[in-house]
Amino acid sequence: MKAVWSWLLELCDLPHAPTVEEGARALTAGGLEVEGVTDLGAGFTGVVVAEVVATRPHPGSQKLTLVDVVTARGGSATQVVCGAPNVPAPGRKVLWAPPGATLPGGMTLSTRAVKGVDSPGMLCSETELAIGDDDRGIIVLDADDATAPGAPAQQALGVADWVLEVAAPANRGDCLGHLGLARELCALLGGRLVPPAPGPDLEALAADLDAAALAAVTIDDPVGCPRYVARVIDGLVVGPSPRRFAQRLRAVGVRPISNLVDVTNYVLFELGQPLHAFDWHQLRGASIAVRRARAGERMTTLDGQERALVAADLLICDGEHPVALAGVMGGADSEVSATTTRVLLESASFEPRSIRRTARRLALPSEASQRFERGVDPELAPLAAARAAALLARLGGGKVARGHVDVYPRPPARPRVPLRLARARALIGAELHAGACEAALLRLGCEVEPDGAAGDGHWTVTPPSARADLTREVDLIEDILRIHGYGNVPATLPALHVGPAPLVDDRADRARRALAAAGLAEAITFGFQSRERALALGLPPGDRRAHPVAVRNPMSAEQAVMRTSLLPNLLAAVARNASFGLGDVALFEVGAVFLRQPGQPLEGEPATLCDEPLRAAAVLAGARPRWLGPPQPWDYFDVKGVLEHLARTLGVGELAYVAAADIPYLHPGVAARVRGADGRILGELGEVHPDVRARLGVEVPVFMFDLALGELAPAAPAQMRPVPRFPASARDVSLLVDAPVPSARVRDVIRAVAEPLVETVRLAEEYRDAVRLGAGKKSMLWSITYRAPDRTLTDVEVDQAHEAIVARLLAETPAERR
Amino acid sequence: MTTTSDLIAQLERLGGEFAQAIAPLADEQAIRAAQAQFLGKKGQVSEVMKALGRLPPADRPLVGQAANQVKDAIAQAVEARLAALAAARRQADLARTLDVTLPGRPVGGGHLHLLTQVRLELVDIFAELGFAVAEGPQVETDWHTFEALAIPKDHPARDMQDTFYIADELVLRTHTSPVQIRTMQAHPPPIRIVAPGVVYRRDDDATHSPMFSQIEGLVVDEGVRVSDLKGVLLHFVNRFFGGAGGAGGGGLDVRLRPSYFPFVEPGVEIDMSCAFCAGAGCRLCKGTGWIEIGGAGMVDPDVFGHVGIDAERYTGFAFGMGIERMAMLRHGVNDIKLYYEGDLRFLDQF
Ligand SMILES: [Zn+2]
Repeated sequence: MKAVWSWLLELCDLPHAPTVEEGARALTAGGLEVEGVTDLGAGFTGVVVAEVVATRPHPGSQKLTLVDVVTARGGSATQVVCGAPNVPAPGRKVLWAPPGATLPGGMTLSTRAVKGVDSPGMLCSETELAIGDDDRGIIVLDADDATAPGAPAQQALGVADWVLEVAAPANRGDCLGHLGLARELCALLGGRLVPPAPGPDLEALAADLDAAALAAVTIDDPVGCPRYVARVIDGLVVGPSPRRFAQRLRAVGVRPISNLVDVTNYVLFELGQPLHAFDWHQLRGASIAVRRARAGERMTTLDGQERALVAADLLICDGEHPVALAGVMGGADSEVSATTTRVLLESASFEPRSIRRTARRLALPSEASQRFERGVDPELAPLAAARAAALLARLGGGKVARGHVDVYPRPPARPRVPLRLARARALIGAELHAGACEAALLRLGCEVEPDGAAGDGHWTVTPPSARADLTREVDLIEDILRIHGYGNVPATLPALHVGPAPLVDDRADRARRALAAAGLAEAITFGFQSRERALALGLPPGDRRAHPVAVRNPMSAEQAVMRTSLLPNLLAAVARNASFGLGDVALFEVGAVFLRQPGQPLEGEPATLCDEPLRAAAVLAGARPRWLGPPQPWDYFDVKGVLEHLARTLGVGELAYVAAADIPYLHPGVAARVRGADGRILGELGEVHPDVRARLGVEVPVFMFDLALGELAPAAPAQMRPVPRFPASARDVSLLVDAPVPSARVRDVIRAVAEPLVETVRLAEEYRDAVRLGAGKKSMLWSITYRAPDRTLTDVEVDQAHEAIVARLLAETPAERR
Repeated sequence: MTTTSDLIAQLERLGGEFAQAIAPLADEQAIRAAQAQFLGKKGQVSEVMKALGRLPPADRPLVGQAANQVKDAIAQAVEARLAALAAARRQADLARTLDVTLPGRPVGGGHLHLLTQVRLELVDIFAELGFAVAEGPQVETDWHTFEALAIPKDHPARDMQDTFYIADELVLRTHTSPVQIRTMQAHPPPIRIVAPGVVYRRDDDATHSPMFSQIEGLVVDEGVRVSDLKGVLLHFVNRFFGGAGGAGGGGLDVRLRPSYFPFVEPGVEIDMSCAFCAGAGCRLCKGTGWIEIGGAGMVDPDVFGHVGIDAERYTGFAFGMGIERMAMLRHGVNDIKLYYEGDLRFLDQF
């Protein structure tokens, strides 16, 4: 909310006048953050108020006028050339930018010849000073303007002032008007609030009419509309508002329109109470009814739109039809116009949720609806109505009908909140004195009574009606603390008490560290992605990952669905890096994917939370980190090595890798499923299928794995095995086998022998050579080490064990010995 | 007739011949072979010694002596030759040179994402004060995300966090605060957790990303005070930002400014004194000497009500901060989008 500094000060009685900086600092420290302070008059310098003493035509042009101005009564006159059509008669005041003055945009004035006559500077228009949009002529001050000639133009324009941009918290609807901010300023700086007092004005302005006879108000829905105050002002003449009055509206960001409209806006910004002015003559039946809309009802709002209404919409109706969407927007039929002479002024309070729903549904946020949504104090309504009536009468030359209509069926009881000094001290952790607490509450406008029955340090507090946010003890403690100052709270540390030690699952971070140590860079990508990207893996309908959960209201197609695999985003990152010329990519991501829970429908919105399993995925594209010599492209064994390193680091025990030609997003010949010791599938690895790459714009081979990190058994602490005290013996065996026989097969056979002396089994060499070995054959050199924990093995023992294994290998693999 | 003196002379000559024979040999095996050839059963020395039987017995010891001397000489010649060869090899080895300015063969090169590094550091800092890590789902119920945190439907505070919806009652969590609720539902006090994690809001510009990460802290116990919140935050800013701008370690101050979050009362914004200009005013603090780093407050009694904790007996505080913002401030990252694009030109800098 924008607040004008002079306006705020008008509503405060402070012990000493603060500077705008002091005021802004106090509000910010009090929780009303001042996000900016704008000097309204900073756009120009040196422009002064000047009185016209004579005018005559320019000898060289009919469009130009020579104007004599003075900046001191009886002083010597200066002749200025002026091109405006509205040069006033002598005696009126204008704004003169003499040589040396600067204007918005940085222009500095000098003496310049205009059609042969020297003009020292110029007389200014609103647009030239950037204070308004009237460019039809120069600014002529009102006839009764009291600003002295020679005074800075800022003073005459009402811009010797500042605008504060205040961010009022969502629960402080009371601070969406100058009155509420002034209340805060008084509480924070120690002063007294001075609400505008229209009373005496109204007596003087009273008309020979009776408000009650001109506006019969009924409220059908006292929940939706707790209070409705109406006043009638008659004999109005629509015209522009006085300059400084209009300037205040400009300063808070509202365009002045006419005195009638401007007054309602002025009071809205002054008191925070939205008002609506109806053209009384357009209302049928001299009556107002507040009710909910009926099914199928329609109305045309003042923006010319015909609106279909729903039963939840709250309406203001005359004797026949809806004339306004309560608190949101007026109707077109009853809008005030240039010919309006009698106004019915509405000053009402409406239930926040109802206003919010209607304003949301129709996308009609307004200064009024924003305030009603935050809650407007029903006690403000009569004051605002009286204030606006007085202003209307004064600015529009009208008379105010006697009395007001005030329908307030169920005035709420003001909350009486118990407060304990001990509780305040315990919650804040600061030494607070009873007197200081009381003083703070009084400054905030609360009524404070000692609770005698409960003893010292107990009070019953009645907050001001404007502060609907103060209903509980803790709310009062917060306000005491705001006045006491957070700076006066010491810094302590909370005492540590023994509680149940939480089990921390750090697998994700251990995996991240392991993968970083393996040479990969970590990526973090969005949890959502485009549907197209999610489907790029080509998963079959039977796969849970083929049915991503959709975001109902994405901001773009890139946020359409939640990811079901880490792979698409990683592949997209490969493509993105390649587009920058970075072809060598080793990336990983560890994070959640989002799957529909088993049993949930595969399409549509889920009814339950998602499964969010933790996955770890890596992609290798291009070549290994470059050194001298030709690039060495990554291959399958690099990514498998990374996965093995990860499994080892996490202590998950040995994983099995089973060739799999049926993983849709992997190359059928370079793909494997990863199985845990218990046979569960824990992931996939291999070369990304060229079709998938093509869909994601990746042009080079990519090797990947995708591991179900969350399903790995948590590792038990590693247990020490005795360090061997006796030497090991190694034996090799070279086997000739059919080419398709996987190395895992040989390993399995060796393992099946269960020879206790075997310590390690290692494939040392694998090669194919059609000439030497024959087509469809390959040679494998296996190296097996043997060791006993309690003795040095003899050659005979080792040979026996080894030959037994070899015999099994030859028979069961099957294989030939080479 | 071979005489004793002939024989001795022959033996002595053999010594000389051996030295000549091994002089050109450069490997140990050949030298040992030459040695065996001279001293073996069919070697030159044995050949000469075959004549020994024809000498007078009295002379035989003399010749034997001479033969031993030759054998010794041969052994010495072998050792000397091998030593010379070793010395030459060592010399040659030491003569090697390498262009030591060539680049090192790459090792490692992997690293954690900047946000992970910062998160781990944050978690470590709070662990020093006894905070454990808690987590929760990203697709959350409306109840955990809003209702239980005293943000009912139609509450204006819902505007503060424009929400991605999955279904009527399912949202992408807009903050990590639902983890507070889940933790309090699962554990009775005392509670002392931090909850880092990604969150989602419908916001997308140079300083907002539709996904970003927060770290949330929660302490619930008997006797927890506003002053405890201040102390914890003071510890944090000095550990994390102390010395960040060369302004000297430690000595940073924390300022709590009243603010409003529906699930805390009192609620505050957290400012720290600018670590980068020592309060003199700079770009990061917009000249104010203070930098806003997050929100905090005392757990609202209504929140305790939702999770069945006795608000009269227990009090607590919660705080939340943006991890991207921490990293931006300390590492000068100027565009939040860079974190999430997998762009190695960015990732590899950290
Ligand atoms: Zn600074």
